[in-house]
Amino acid sequence: MRISSNTIFDSNVAALNQQQARLLQTQQQIASGKRLLSASTDPIAATRSLDITQADASNTQQAANRDAARHTLSLAESTLQSVTSLIQDVRTATVYAGNGSLNDSDRSTLATNLSGRLQELIGLANSTDGTGNYLFSGFQSKTQPFVDTPAGMGYFGDDGQRMAQVGSGRQMAANDGGADVFMRIKNGNGTFVTQSSAGNSGGGVIGAGALADPALVTGNNYSVSFSVLAGTTSYSVTNTTTGLPVAGMTAQPFVSGQAISFDGMRFDIQGAPGDGDSFTIAPSTNESVFKTIADLITTLNTPVVGANLTNGLRLGLNNLDNALDTVLNVRSTLGLRLAEIDALQVAGENLGVQFKQTLSQLQDTDYNKAISDLTQQQTTLEATQQSFVKVTGLSLFNYM
Amino acid sequence: MGSNIYSASLSGMNAAQYGLATTQHNIANASTPGYTRQQMVVTARTSQATGAGFVGQGVDVGSVVRIYDAFLTTQVRQEQSQASYLSTYLSSMQQIDNLVADPTTGVSPAMQDFFNAMSGVANTPESVPARQTVLSAAQAAVNRFQAMDQRLSDISNGLTGQIAGSVQMVNTYATQIAALNGNIKSSLSMSQGQQPNDLMDQRDQLVNQLSKEITVSVQQQSDGSMSVFVGNGQALVIDEKAMGLQVVQSPVDPSKVEIAYLNNGKTTSLQQSSLQGGSLGAYLTFRDQSLEPARNALGRVALGFAASINQQNQSGQDLNGVMGTSLLNSAVPRVDNGVNNTGTASVTAAITNVSALTTSDYQLRFDGASYTMTRLSDNVVTHLGATLLPAPTVDGVTVNLASGVMAAGDSFLIRPTANAARDIALTTSDPTRIATALPFRGAAAIRATNLANITTVASGAITASAVTVAGTTPSSATFTVDGKTLVTSTVAAGATGALTTAAGLDAAWPAFATANPGYTLTGTFALGTAQISKPGGAAITLAETLTTGTGATVTPFSAAGVGFIGITPGSTASKIAGITVATPANANVANPVAITFTSPTTYTVTGAVPAVVGAQTYTAPNISYNGWTMQLNAAPAAGDVFNVAANSGTAKVTSGAYNLNPVSISFTSATAYSVVEMRGVPPAPVTLGSGLIPPAVGGSSTVSYNGWTAQITGVPAIGDTFNVSKGTNAGTMLVTGAGTNAGAGAISGGALSVQPFAIMFNNPATSYTVSGATPAVVGSVPYTAGQDISYNGWTMQVTGTPVAGDVFNAGSNTSASGDNRNALLMAALQNQNLMINGTSSLQSAYSQLVGLIGSKSSELSVTSMAQDTMLNQTISVQQSVSGVNLDEEAANLMRYQKAYQAAAKAMEIANTMFDSLLSLGR
Repeated sequence: MRISSNTIFDSNVAALNQQQARLLQTQQQIASGKRLLSASTDPIAATRSLDITQADASNTQQAANRDAARHTLSLAESTLQSVTSLIQDVRTATVYAGNGSLNDSDRSTLATNLSGRLQELIGLANSTDGTGNYLFSGFQSKTQPFVDTPAGMGYFGDDGQRMAQVGSGRQMAANDGGADVFMRIKNGNGTFVTQSSAGNSGGGVIGAGALADPALVTGNNYSVSFSVLAGTTSYSVTNTTTGLPVAGMTAQPFVSGQAISFDGMRFDIQGAPGDGDSFTIAPSTNESVFKTIADLITTLNTPVVGANLTNGLRLGLNNLDNALDTVLNVRSTLGLRLAEIDALQVAGENLGVQFKQTLSQLQDTDYNKAISDLTQQQTTLEATQQSFVKVTGLSLFNYM
Repeated sequence: MGSNIYSASLSGMNAAQYGLATTQHNIANASTPGYTRQQMVVTARTSQATGAGFVGQGVDVGSVVRIYDAFLTTQVRQEQSQASYLSTYLSSMQQIDNLVADPTTGVSPAMQDFFNAMSGVANTPESVPARQTVLSAAQAAVNRFQAMDQRLSDISNGLTGQIAGSVQMVNTYATQIAALNGNIKSSLSMSQGQQPNDLMDQRDQLVNQLSKEITVSVQQQSDGSMSVFVGNGQALVIDEKAMGLQVVQSPVDPSKVEIAYLNNGKTTSLQQSSLQGGSLGAYLTFRDQSLEPARNALGRVALGFAASINQQNQSGQDLNGVMGTSLLNSAVPRVDNGVNNTGTASVTAAITNVSALTTSDYQLRFDGASYTMTRLSDNVVTHLGATLLPAPTVDGVTVNLASGVMAAGDSFLIRPTANAARDIALTTSDPTRIATALPFRGAAAIRATNLANITTVASGAITASAVTVAGTTPSSATFTVDGKTLVTSTVAAGATGALTTAAGLDAAWPAFATANPGYTLTGTFALGTAQISKPGGAAITLAETLTTGTGATVTPFSAAGVGFIGITPGSTASKIAGITVATPANANVANPVAITFTSPTTYTVTGAVPAVVGAQTYTAPNISYNGWTMQLNAAPAAGDVFNVAANSGTAKVTSGAYNLNPVSISFTSATAYSVVEMRGVPPAPVTLGSGLIPPAVGGSSTVSYNGWTAQITGVPAIGDTFNVSKGTNAGTMLVTGAGTNAGAGAISGGALSVQPFAIMFNNPATSYTVSGATPAVVGSVPYTAGQDISYNGWTMQVTGTPVAGDVFNAGSNTSASGDNRNALLMAALQNQNLMINGTSSLQSAYSQLVGLIGSKSSELSVTSMAQDTMLNQTISVQQSVSGVNLDEEAANLMRYQKAYQAAAKAMEIANTMFDSLLSLGR
């Protein structure tokens, strides 16, 4: 077949051009470190790397969210730690106050001490995170949650829990509403609360009682009244909500320490109640820890008449225990949440490493392959160039 | 004889001279583009006949021809056209290829940064610096969108210039070809049929150049001229006349240009499908198949971004306590009037459903009788009927005839997303306007109980329990009231007989009543009129415990009335209908308050702040203290006590959201309708209620559910349905009539105004009553733990165990600077499937764009390289026929040189012969 001289030159030039273009692309990949110089190099890898970059960025953001959540949860935890030790101190003081060797002025001093601790507790409940946001206000972070009102301690926050996105698909509460920690504490034994009436003169001490049969509980208020007649103490139980006496509980002989049970409730009265003394039983309601301590202060400030100190201290201790339980409950959920954040942190870091690995596989130059390609293309280009010179040097005119 | 030698030698020298000249011409033009090598055609002269044979007379030079293969030349030209098309398309694509995919400078990282900043605000919603970061990230994303759109726009503008340049080249070549046609014709006539080889080479070269710009076909005419045709057979050059191409504004899209064919002053637009091939075809295809769709796709992502953020922000409450506004500017679709429109109509379009948007443009046409909307990417036509009312929606775009009237043949080009990336902008710089909170919250503050009421158990006809088959051991039955034994009856072994009988119950009652004061029996069991009641508010349980003797068969006691064996009555007969709490809640709302009625119209209050002393007069039905208002549903009696105290259950409201579920109002007659909501995942129909509209024509009636209010006017027909659904405007629902409605009714309004409401749990807490709902809810609603409680457009869930009397109220969220619920929802938009009919997120929609461009570029680079190889092969085949080989020419030089020398020598010999002849006579 005939070859024209032009064809020899043109085809060689075309080959040189192609090889130079390939060489340049490989060299750019090495210089920039990126295999994907543009979307057309590998369209599927390009779109996949966009998706993975987004997932990686989300993962990093979640780490920041975890830090923020950990900050508020740790603050709450340390505050509640102080609250726990405060309640325990108050408890110790209350137990000490029951010591028979104290007189009224000693108890008055104790009451002042408790006042100070109450203010401290209010301060702890109103603690902030350092930037002016209250920890226990729910969503109303600029509103002070606990304020003393004439009707007692009021909660002015709300029940909102601020959620934090700590993992993909996992939202965790980053704070707890103050009502759950300080206000919604059941008094008494959780079902009913027993109290001695203010005018009691005798020495009867009523115990906290227990739930005997949940099915029979009526939720009514009751009153146990004592009458001492000729040395015999007897009592009657009246349902003060309906006004009717309780069946089988009229003019019962009283034995100290013997269980009194009716309508699913059981409790005992110890000591020697006086004539006309009465004790009330009411369904448990929510009582704030502040009210508990305030009531204790009032009890300590009241001169001792009969067993009113003992009853008041016993009731206060009972409610303090309930408050302590509540706070410890919340602290344990805080602890669980903090532990979960740590676990998520580890998982998140592993995930981040994996994302970066995948991204590198998709995007980055494989230096081994690229350098060996470069060498190969270089060799080919040199060979083409030398052969070009050789072939085009051949001409009949050289020999004429 | 001698004269023959002279003339033959002369002819030989002549021929050699011609040969040398031709060879020299070939060598000189070896590198001339388009040059076809020429060859001399020589023929032997006619021999003279002699007696001794035919004697040759020498050689004649016939002509100089070019070695030319028309088939190969045509093939090269076609390959050239295609190669030029592909390489131009590829280089244009590479401009946008580099733009989109970089993971650090594209649009993706900007959107990611925005959502990350949003997530950061969710951690500290009250922090103004965190909000400012969100605004800055939004601004950066806006800038990125605009920059990318600007780049695409620059490429588009550049294209117009390139198209014009290409058309200019085509016209120039056409003129030159026409001129050459003239030259060739006159040369042909002057030279008596000898081909003007070099002129023809030049003309072929021009046609080759022309084919790089546009696909041409040629036809050789008998007079030597060449006719050139473009497109679908339009003649570009005929004989010496050149027609031209022109760039004109497209009648469909005024922003684009089209190619038109100019002939005798008349302009005809060329169909783009006929312009495949050549650079011109590449520019047009690139613009319409790659650049504009890329711009539309980018705009769609921008629209999705802006619209979804705006909608979510408008559903929330900002730091100032007001409902959020839109943060970003969402572009309006571009509408261009067709250039040839004759009507007066003005059309506007709006995006109503971002999820349904495509990347195509649309054309709205009116043919005189009906309207059609064509999707230009795949030419799918939607028939809109004879009128544009109500405004039709196609693929998420609603078209509105704003004013005027369309004439037949009018068309409008609607580009929904083309301007979106250019026009996106941040409309606020105030960081407090980011709505991180939700406008509602639920609270559990108080508990209201009415403890002086009576629960009654009614009886009916009684069947006594009995032993029907005697057993070997006694059988017994114990009848209890609230667990306390009323009567025990026994049947001895081996006997049959009744156990619990009505008479026995009646007889046992007095003893029971003495032992259990408080229980009252009215009527008798024997007559079936017994009613047991007790004070206190708890239900009364009646039960019979049977002990069956061995081998005996016992039928139990049964009664046909409500509330007998094993059934506790559901009604609590509490006199409290409901209780609502004002928002913001009064600080003393949970203070224990007891209201004791001393007579049906007077009561005393303890616990109100400020304190209330003395008897108060009761005006039905409301009693209001400490920020709550209680409604009674029955007349109170002396001794009734109502208590309000702090909520003592463990239940609390854990979540809440707007209820914007779709609701359909279906007419079951001309005036009566029923309202059904699609609720839950997967959506299931829930009947909300029903109502009537006035039958008069022109009347209107207000329908209000879930916090929205709509008006229905006119006279609907049976079966007509009106739909209320979530629109893109967060303050109003989208109200539409179904397309199949046959009546003359219409629906309007849909304004959303969410009002507070409260629920109070009954005794037992398996149902609740609702106060403050619109429409009002009468009676009790059954409750199962964890279910949605949904009124006035607000849905909340209660967790924990509610106790009878617990009140949960949903009201406005005031001073909630720490509420981040809407911020979390906005951050979650990143991964929601907002686009392409709910199948892609924003990132996926953008990735689609990247993938499209990347794969097209990749495909083009491969086919372009293949085409180039193809072209080179074809050229080398053509060159193997027509190309000059210098070695061959060198050989020819030597050959003709030798031939010349030989012929010259022959002439010298003839001369010597003649001299010999002349010297003979001396």
